[in-house]
Amino acid sequence: METLVKRERLTVAENENAVFIERELADRLEIDVKAGARVKHYRLHGGADNALTVRIGENAAYELVTLHLGNGDLSMSFDLAGEGANCRSDVVYILSGDEKSVIASDVRHNADKTVSAQLVKGAVGGRGHAAFQGGILIPYDKKEIDGAQQHRALLLSRDATVEAVPRLEIYADDVKCAHGSAIGTLNQDQLYYMRTRGIDETDARALLTTAFLNEVLDGIEDESVRAEFERLADEGLKK
Amino acid sequence: MTAWLEINDLRAKAGDKTILNGLSLSIDAGEVHVIMGPNGSGKSTLSNVLCGNPHYEVTGGSVTFKGEDLLKLNVEERARLGVFLAFQSPVEIPGVSMATFMKYALNARRKAAGEKELDAVGFMKRIKVRAQALNVSDEMLKRPVNVGFSGGEKKRLETFQMAMLEPDFCILDEMDSGMDVDAVKVAGNGVKIMRSPERSFLVISHNIKFIREQIMPDKVHVLANGRVVADGGVELLDEVDKNGFAGFVKEAVA
Repeated sequence: METLVKRERLTVAENENAVFIERELADRLEIDVKAGARVKHYRLHGGADNALTVRIGENAAYELVTLHLGNGDLSMSFDLAGEGANCRSDVVYILSGDEKSVIASDVRHNADKTVSAQLVKGAVGGRGHAAFQGGILIPYDKKEIDGAQQHRALLLSRDATVEAVPRLEIYADDVKCAHGSAIGTLNQDQLYYMRTRGIDETDARALLTTAFLNEVLDGIEDESVRAEFERLADEGLKK
Repeated sequence: MTAWLEINDLRAKAGDKTILNGLSLSIDAGEVHVIMGPNGSGKSTLSNVLCGNPHYEVTGGSVTFKGEDLLKLNVEERARLGVFLAFQSPVEIPGVSMATFMKYALNARRKAAGEKELDAVGFMKRIKVRAQALNVSDEMLKRPVNVGFSGGEKKRLETFQMAMLEPDFCILDEMDSGMDVDAVKVAGNGVKIMRSPERSFLVISHNIKFIREQIMPDKVHVLANGRVVADGGVELLDEVDKNGFAGFVKEAVA
């Protein structure tokens, strides 16, 4: 395990296993995941803009969980370059006050039998504004492609706004591609049920919001990283 | 002297629709009351209005509970004062386990009462004893609240929550519907175990056999068109059993 600070280019050698935890992000980061390598990557993002580019080689697997807090744009680009490459790129974003953020993701299935999955979940309060731009590209000559993208956002206040712009460019036929986006508020029936058990409305809201975001964060295998991210997410929600 | 729970001329509507139309009812500490009535008579609305469901608007009347004006309190304050509703169709809460949910609920009460939070050992003890008595497995406690459970299991979990929170006034909204014979017994058992001189029950049910054999109420009320149209003892059950609600509904219209 390695803690990255402001490093710009990274290569994970063939068949190597690596775990990256980024707490302070470089402006730009490029990762080259060579054939057969397995990478788990956890990022804390917020404050400044950041661009991540990942190339994933043959039968390599790259898994990313990003926790984005506050201002700053996040741009991510994934090139599934080798046959059988696998990419998972989940995001949790939390905004409050006047914070604004654009989260842009591009997944390009540039080889056969490539698999991508992305779950993006956000919670926006105050007068916060988030935009999620999710692209998936599948060129015409590619076969046996499986791409999935889901975006779900919770509006925690009346003035919060979220916009979702999916960009699906699918030119091939042999494709399984599921995508969806839903933006809504907390479920009133759930809130009422919790309050009838004596839980304050504020606490009920926080508990439901945390449960919503933890669907992503629970996927972090490393226990200490998961605990750290869940704690930071909780702090982000309390702002 | 006002009763322990006194509902007087209660009127409420949902949207433009008036559902409770001058409902009066009083329950003393330790009593078990049953409410029967045809569909749409206002039974579920009454339970939700007593809990403060924001979906309903109270347009008149009063409710006093343990000397307090219940209608002035918000949902969670009523719960902490001891009002509990076992829901007819409890909502699912993905991502929150039953154990976590109960910890929050218990600690919210303790916090409001100025007590310190339950420690892990105290909490586990409380949960274990009650889960065992009501046949709630560890697995059920770890799973998200009401997610993926059968109708009967959900009702059993409602009974379990009632046992955990030890409310003073328990409203059971059609606890026996959608349950098999064994599950109905568990629900009845929950009421039997919890019955005490300091705790009252308002049981909404259509099931006369369930009421007779499991609930054994002190009083029975018949509701029609948002009002109580008949009060009595268990003998009212025989009348409903024989003639249905037709006679009572006529009375309400007249």
